[in-house]
Formats: sequence, C-alpha cells, structure tokens
Amino acid sequence: MSAALSYSAVSAGYHGTPVLTHVDLTLAGGQRLALVGPNGAGKSTLIKSILGLIPVLGGAATVLGRPPAQARPLIGYVPQTDSLDADFPVTAAQVVMMGRYRRIGWWRPTRAADRRAVRAALEQVGLADRAGKHFGTLSGGQRQRVLLARALAAEPRLLLLDEPFNGVDAVSQEAILGVLRTLSADGTAVVLSTHDLAVAAELADIVCLLNGRQWAAGSPEAVLTAENLRAAYGGHAIEVGHDRTVLVEP
Amino acid sequence: MIEPFAVPFMARALAELALLALICGPVSVFVFARRLSFVSDALTHTVFPGVVIGFLAGGVEGIFAGALVAAVVTAVALTLLTRAGALSDDASTAVVLTAMFSIGVALVSRRSSYTSDLTTFLFGRILTVTPSQLAETAALAAVILTLLLIGARAIIFRTFDPTGAAAAGYRVFWLDLWLNLIVALVVVAAVRAVGTILVVALLIVPAAAARMITSRLVAMAAIGTGLILLASYAGLLASWTASVTYGFALTSASAVVLALVLIYLLLLPLGALRSAPSPTGGRSPHELVG
Repeated sequence: MSAALSYSAVSAGYHGTPVLTHVDLTLAGGQRLALVGPNGAGKSTLIKSILGLIPVLGGAATVLGRPPAQARPLIGYVPQTDSLDADFPVTAAQVVMMGRYRRIGWWRPTRAADRRAVRAALEQVGLADRAGKHFGTLSGGQRQRVLLARALAAEPRLLLLDEPFNGVDAVSQEAILGVLRTLSADGTAVVLSTHDLAVAAELADIVCLLNGRQWAAGSPEAVLTAENLRAAYGGHAIEVGHDRTVLVEP
Repeated sequence: MIEPFAVPFMARALAELALLALICGPVSVFVFARRLSFVSDALTHTVFPGVVIGFLAGGVEGIFAGALVAAVVTAVALTLLTRAGALSDDASTAVVLTAMFSIGVALVSRRSSYTSDLTTFLFGRILTVTPSQLAETAALAAVILTLLLIGARAIIFRTFDPTGAAAAGYRVFWLDLWLNLIVALVVVAAVRAVGTILVVALLIVPAAAARMITSRLVAMAAIGTGLILLASYAGLLASWTASVTYGFALTSASAVVLALVLIYLLLLPLGALRSAPSPTGGRSPHELVG
C-alpha cells in the first residue's frame, strides 16, 4: 500500500511565491503527524498543499499514491471552527451530512446508509444527542467535534485537522484526542497542526517543526528539543530555569 | 362590489406573483445565507441596460431577451471579478452597478416617452401581464427550480464552509457562477412584472423575514414563499381597493413590496425575542461545559 503522504524537497506557496520550503516527510497509514511552528510558519499552507488547494511549486508530492488534488475523495478535512459562520442556519446533523455529499451526488436524496453514517460519526465524537441542535448554539468544542464528525462521515484514509484544539474546552479536547487514537489504530493516517507542543508530543508519532521551511521532522523526543525550538521560533523562544525548558509563545 | 380577483387582469397578476413566490422563496434563502444582498442589487441594476436595449430593438417582447442576455453576461462578469479579488469590497460592486445603470438611463432617455418607459422598467407592469408572459415565467420558474435543486446541496456546503467544500472536491468558482446565474434568471423572470428595482425586495426580504421564525433552511424557503404569496394578495387587494373604492392610484407592485416589508417589520420583534440571550447565553450549563 502506498504511503499516506510522501513529500520530497517540496516547496509550496501562493501566486508562484513559496512560503514553505524543504519539506521532506513520509507518513504511513495509521501514523499521526503533528505540524508545529509559530504563527505564519506555513502549517496551514502545508495542509492546503496536501489537499491540492495550493500548488506544489517544487519537489515531489504524492498523497495516498496520487497527485494531491486527486486524493481529495480519500481525505477528510477539519477546518478551524472560528473560520465558519456560527449564525448559518444548519443543524449539527446537517453539517455532518455534508461529509457524505460527494458520495450522494448532486441531487439524489440521502439514503439510509448516509443517515446511519451521520449517526455513527456523531456517536463517535460523543454528540449523538446534539444531532438536531443548531450548529451555532453549540459550544466551540462541540462545534469542533461536529466538524470532526463531518470528516469521519466521509470515511477518509487520511484526516487533516487545522488547529483542532484552538478555543476548545478540556472535555472536547479529550474527546477529539480519543477519536484520533482510535482512527489511527484502524489504519487512518492523521495530520494536525497545533500550537500545543504538549499535545503534539503526547499524540504524534512524527512531529514536523516548521517556520518558513522544515526545521526538523522525526519522533517528538528528537524534534522537540530546546535547540530545535529556539532555532525555529527565533525570538519567540524563552529559556526558563536550570533545566533549559523552552516555552514557546503561540 | 366586484370581486377583485375575478377580474382577469387581477387573477393573472396574482398568478404571476405566485410563480415568482415559488422561486423567490427558496432563492432568497441562498441570497441571505451567502450574503449576496448587495450583489443581487447590483445584478438587478446591471440587467437594466439589457432591458432597455431589448425594448428599443424589439418592443415589449424584446425585454425578455435583452434582460436574459444582460443577466447572463453580468452573472459571469460578477463571478469573475469576485474571483480575481477585484470585487472584494462594496465600492467596486457599486461602481459596476451605477455604471451599468447609467448606461441604461442614457439609452432610455433618448426616447420621447422617456418617463413612462423608465417607470415601466423600474417598477414593472404587473397588471398588464399576458397569458403568454405567464407561460414564459412558468417555464423560467421550472428552469430556476431545477438548477436550484441540482446545485442546492453543494451551494449550501460552499456557503457554510468554502475551504471545506473545496477540500471535498467541489469547484467553488463554478458553484458561485451557478448561484449568480440563478439569481440573474430570477431577475429576468420578475423584471416585467415588478421591475428591476422591486425585484430586489423579493430576493432579500422573504428569507430575512423567515429567519425571524425559523433557523431551518427548508422551512425558511417555504415560509419565504408563503410570505410573498401573502404580501402579493394583500398588496394587490390594497391597490385595487385604493383605486376602485377611494379613487387614488396605488401602484400594485409597490403595494406588494410595501406589504412584504410590513410583514418583515411585524416579525422583527419575534426575531429579537429568538436571539435574546437567556441567563446562560441560550445554552444549558451542560452544553457550556461539553
């Protein structure tokens, strides 16, 4: 089976100008990759390049053995909750159903299998009892879980999450982490961007440290060192105490 | 007293408005959700020169074709400009709107019957709708509803989450063009009956009013259609009563739009009540935690 992600000396950016360079990554099915780095480091750019929404300007990139844009049907994408209009008149179940739209087609009615998948996805994120609630009335953490459920309903082989823990309460964070562990145990590859280095260290098999380019990639122990973080974060890194702990501002 | 809707031209006017209600209810929901109010307004104005050219070339029968061509061209142009980022602010939309409208006024002012022609184009002639015009509106309504039915799911996804829809494999540009074309076709369908100005009300007010009552998309569309029907009946009746009983002229299309706005105003307190924060911000304490 082909790798979930295979990036070799990739650069990506907008309008022909690279904003992220030197990305070398290989991710197997079932592995979890965390993208860390300061604001504007290129985490979202990398996620969008995996989706084929921005072009790869150099190097070689394949996603699930295909050129990025062609892999979209096999990818689940979870955006940041605050990028969405909370006032939009949809229920949680309708949001999750969006994950099935490509399967259903343009105008065929939804089928029992689709409704079952929506119910199962909501159950998986612990929100089955919120199915009929208006999306905007849910808490930030619950909205994030609904968006995760939407991605699950598409039954992806690769799951991408853009800052899934931003503004999320502890209960929702635990629920999301639990789902991600279950998914990868079942063979789904997971890529997430995060500011939270503790979560990255706890969850990821591979951590990729970015700031305009890839500074380091590998196991959390090898990548999240004081030296690497200082190098990648520059002025954002602060040394505290004798154990040379590095705190990183988001 | 004569029963107003037993008179053929009143019955045809009501039938025409009923057809428009059928399409404007659902389409207004998309205009509302995509926040296309100003773009819709721009579309109605950019159609104006097409209406005038059509009229100059082919008389009243030419209006339909002229409006159709202008609507399709402007729908494509607006979509392209938005995509290129040139229409990222309201000012550029306003430039397109006023420029096209001025061209229309300049064209129509060359005619000797300038004032009455302008009034017809801007406010329509709902009471002179012919059976063949009714048939045209019905055909166009069928096309619009079919286009909407095919694209609805994808457009809702794109409206709610553009990046998510693109990530799912939808082409956002084509979906935007799809919706702009639908709105443009509604303008074409409505232009002879209610004119280019008042059609904006049919595209914006129904969903905005329905949103005060419900937060479900399908219910909003159905309620929107119902509100237009109600306003059409009330407006035509008021217009008839004003001229027959009291002897003063109340333009029918204006009366319909005024009735629609009145319904909106009556529903406003309901909307405020719905969105009023409860002691827990509208959520149970449990939801705040989870």
